[in-house]
Amino acid sequence: MFLFANATIYIGLAIAIYSLLIITLGISTKNQKFINSGKGGLIALFVCAALAMLSLFYLLATSQFQYEYVHDYTSSELPIIYKLTALWAGNAGSLLLWTFFLTLYMVMIVFSRKMKGNPMVPYISAILLANAVFFFFILGFVAKPFLLLDTVPIEGKGLNPMLQNPGMIIHPVTLYLGYVGLAIPFAFAMAALILKNVDDFWIKATRRWTIIAWLFLSLGNIFGGQWAYVELGWGGYWAWDPVENASFMPWLTATAFLHSVMIQERKNMLKIWNISLIIVSYALTLFGTFLVRSGVLTSVHAFANSNLGLYFLIFMAVAVILALYVLMSRYNMLKRSAGEFQSFVSKESSFLVNNLLLVGAAFAVFWGTIFPLVSEAVRGTKVTVGLPFFNKVEAPILLSMMFVMAVCPMLAWQRSTVKNLKKNFTIPAILAVLGMILMVKLGIQKAWAVIGYGVIILLLITHYLEFYRGVKARRKMTKETPFVALYRLMIRNRRRYGGYIVHLGIAFITMGIIGSQNYDLETMKTVDLGQSIEIKDYRLNYERLDQKREGINDIVYADITVFKNGKKLGSFQPEKVFYGNWEQPSSEVAIISSLKEDLYIVLSAWEDDGRATFVVKVNPMMNWLWFGSFMIVIGALFAVWNGKYGNVTPRYTGVRREVS
Amino acid sequence: MKKNTIVMLGGFIIAGAIVFLLMAATPGSSGVELTMKELLATQDQHKDDFVTVEGLLIEDSIKWNPDKIELKFDVKNNEGQIMHVIHNGPKPDNFSEGVITILQGSPTKKDTFEAESVKTRCPSKYEGKDIKDYDPETHKDKLNQPPKEK
Repeated sequence: MFLFANATIYIGLAIAIYSLLIITLGISTKNQKFINSGKGGLIALFVCAALAMLSLFYLLATSQFQYEYVHDYTSSELPIIYKLTALWAGNAGSLLLWTFFLTLYMVMIVFSRKMKGNPMVPYISAILLANAVFFFFILGFVAKPFLLLDTVPIEGKGLNPMLQNPGMIIHPVTLYLGYVGLAIPFAFAMAALILKNVDDFWIKATRRWTIIAWLFLSLGNIFGGQWAYVELGWGGYWAWDPVENASFMPWLTATAFLHSVMIQERKNMLKIWNISLIIVSYALTLFGTFLVRSGVLTSVHAFANSNLGLYFLIFMAVAVILALYVLMSRYNMLKRSAGEFQSFVSKESSFLVNNLLLVGAAFAVFWGTIFPLVSEAVRGTKVTVGLPFFNKVEAPILLSMMFVMAVCPMLAWQRSTVKNLKKNFTIPAILAVLGMILMVKLGIQKAWAVIGYGVIILLLITHYLEFYRGVKARRKMTKETPFVALYRLMIRNRRRYGGYIVHLGIAFITMGIIGSQNYDLETMKTVDLGQSIEIKDYRLNYERLDQKREGINDIVYADITVFKNGKKLGSFQPEKVFYGNWEQPSSEVAIISSLKEDLYIVLSAWEDDGRATFVVKVNPMMNWLWFGSFMIVIGALFAVWNGKYGNVTPRYTGVRREVS
Repeated sequence: MKKNTIVMLGGFIIAGAIVFLLMAATPGSSGVELTMKELLATQDQHKDDFVTVEGLLIEDSIKWNPDKIELKFDVKNNEGQIMHVIHNGPKPDNFSEGVITILQGSPTKKDTFEAESVKTRCPSKYEGKDIKDYDPETHKDKLNQPPKEK
């Protein structure tokens, strides 16, 4: 097994190098045979990665502790699902998973029906293969998944209990799928440039890939936040930690990319911008990995420090330099074929503003993340910027983005006249202002919250009008019932309405963020048995402190009866778990969730006489966040779904070559 | 003027606004990250700063007052220097000997650090190693960075 598993890695490396060379050779000598050989290599590569994955799964499932990786991350009493998902608990396994996805995507693209006979294929394969060579090299020489220990231990160290949570099963997988997914549009863009194609074929061909990668990236961030909320016991979901920023930055630039490509498709503009954006997004996925794995920044996430990060930095630098070189050498061609803006106030310019804001937001995150490094290099002291910095900077940027999002659907392409603006915006604007006045009257007086919710009201109204007008126009012609009309309207224009659903999801998330950031309450109190804690309209009666045993873990828990406005809500048990095979205990919080707010109870400490210290928080509108996330998924899936309509395969009109 | 130029100009204004926002927000919400040695040597200068500092926890020194919700403990660095810490909040989950604590707050009194937040970092939180095996020497370089040129 040892030989076999390692063979998959090293043979994989050999195949990857071979395929890369043979395809490059095939391109330069225009020999289809070489290219075909390289394509065969892609399949072999995928088989290698798949077998390596299977081997590691097998070793983990059967608890073969003589393997370092199995020993470090699992123990024999672990449920089988966590034994298997321990595959992505450490560096080597995560990278193996990444490699596997990469090879999977490669095979899917190179052998897809749509790409048959397309001269871009060899170039795309070569670019992706360069990535594969890098990953197999890392797996073969830096982070080896199949290392044997000198002795055979009887028991493993177990999986960090914090990682034993459903959120952690999915979170890394989705993030990696997102990261890998961004390599695809990058490879297409580069291939198009190398072939001197300046049309938008690469954008149309990768539209689905980009949306799917974006969806996974969003999911990765959301699951991460959700995991932090239920598992870490500090009552928050986002802390602007370097590791979180690392995955948020590519999300921002990928979002910008998704929007600006629409301008290129429609108006033939922003070509250089789009290519730069995809290069940046791709580079940021590698940069994020560098940040996370190298330990250059103080972060509580603290993955083991290794020189792994350095390899990623070098690889990223090489990739970016090559990409920029290609871009520069084609700069004039792109410039010559670009379209022009017609008007100040138009959909195009609003997309541009949205792009600038998104990229600006990404830059601000980047700035804050690397600021300690920069200041240390320049001035000798590590100046840190924390939560307040990010909140101060990101809140206005993202709020203005919401505003652009609210007005954009109502703007016309090309140019919007004053009359048109008046007609479209009078009612929504009045309603939004009325809503804001109403909020102030009702006692919501924090400026940020009022402005934020005002903008969201505007957004909801404009989006509602979009749906309403579409349905009305359709019914005029077809006389369908409203629901049928709505349904048919939406499936005939999936991308547009899917996008609107995502917008609404973002609006819900924003409402949740504004609510939970501005109106959260926290209290910390030590109480005797039988005493109670009061917060807002809740009363928490501390009834009992006890201990129980579950498997090899000892659990200390408190019984708390919760009353709201005198009405009993039930009994809840915040716990502290002491693990049989893990040094540090962890808090299991009790969360009482409703549409309006979450009551979040943490058992922090207790004394011998039964007194216990609780941290109790009220986090408003948390469920809105999760609901919005759900809508994002629905919207994105709706947009990429293979429907009956508007599903034309983009036609390749670029340069022809002898080989494909 | 061409429309493209106008739009570009608008773009620059937005970019400028974002840069301005960055500049404006940086000084107010930033702090300094110091090593314990630096902090103890230059304590007076940093009285009003928001300081991030790392130290190794001394378990015997932990005093927890549940009624006032006040946690007192000492941290040390590898050169044996000791600093007292006061924190108004409960103990983090893995508060045991030799764990690296990341403290954020300000040094109000002589040799005493008032921490607004106390986070612990298991040297290898996600890397499946035992804390028992943790050798303080491993992170010596992290805790003892020599002061860079002034």
